[in-house]
Amino acid sequence: MERLVFDVAALVAIVFAGLMVIGRDPVKSVLALVVSFFALAAGYVLLLAPFIAALQVIVYAGAILVLFLFVLMLLNVGRERPDGMRRPIQMVLGSLAVLLFAGLLLGMFRATSGKIPFLARPLSEGELADPAALARLLFSEYLLHFEAVSVLLLAALIGAFVLARREDA
Amino acid sequence: MIGSIPLSDVLLASGALFSIGIAGALLRRNAIQIFLSIELMMNAANLALLGYGAAMGSQEGQILVFFVIAIAAAEASVGLAIFVALFRHTETIDVNKINLLKW
Repeated sequence: MERLVFDVAALVAIVFAGLMVIGRDPVKSVLALVVSFFALAAGYVLLLAPFIAALQVIVYAGAILVLFLFVLMLLNVGRERPDGMRRPIQMVLGSLAVLLFAGLLLGMFRATSGKIPFLARPLSEGELADPAALARLLFSEYLLHFEAVSVLLLAALIGAFVLARREDA
Repeated sequence: MIGSIPLSDVLLASGALFSIGIAGALLRRNAIQIFLSIELMMNAANLALLGYGAAMGSQEGQILVFFVIAIAAAEASVGLAIFVALFRHTETIDVNKINLLKW
């Protein structure tokens, strides 16, 4: 049953990701990606990561993609025109690279999925899905990384401000 | 196995999403859509991390995904600011028409 729900969620995510890539209208692309990320959040719940699923909905679908929509509305970008700028060699080489990469990825996953190194004391399913335990790990062992990310976010904030402001202002 | 979900299903979904993302990044010309494809690739990597983490019985996969999401937020804000600045100068975000760095 869980497997069925996961597979359906993954399929929805893949189909809408495909629509995102195919579509010519950037606004529709963003909306398709929102649906794809919601489906992925459902998959994350089934992979025993409810906190990450909440982050996915709030931060990814809620904040980052809405930022994309804001910028699209701000720039008023139209549809991509299928004009003479299309370069056949780019399409051919690009498709070839995608196929090669997909094959590589498939082979890599097939080689590793049977040999997962189990921990000395694997966590139970209840422990894995416990956000309190996640927070304890984050604020003890990974505290330095957490602080580094906060500095990175500050740097990104200042960088975005400097990049996007008008020069005469 | 995570519950009753085999790890191979998770990895297959992750690989498919990543390949779709790389196709978008290589074949589209609208900079926003290329950027969305990169976000999709990050999510595919997140899915693989959560799958492996849960299969190993470790929460460290979730910790990694937490950091990836934080860095994606930083990357999105800077990237979109670059597009806004670029659009002011060139009036387009078609990557075939932008060649400021080409000699």
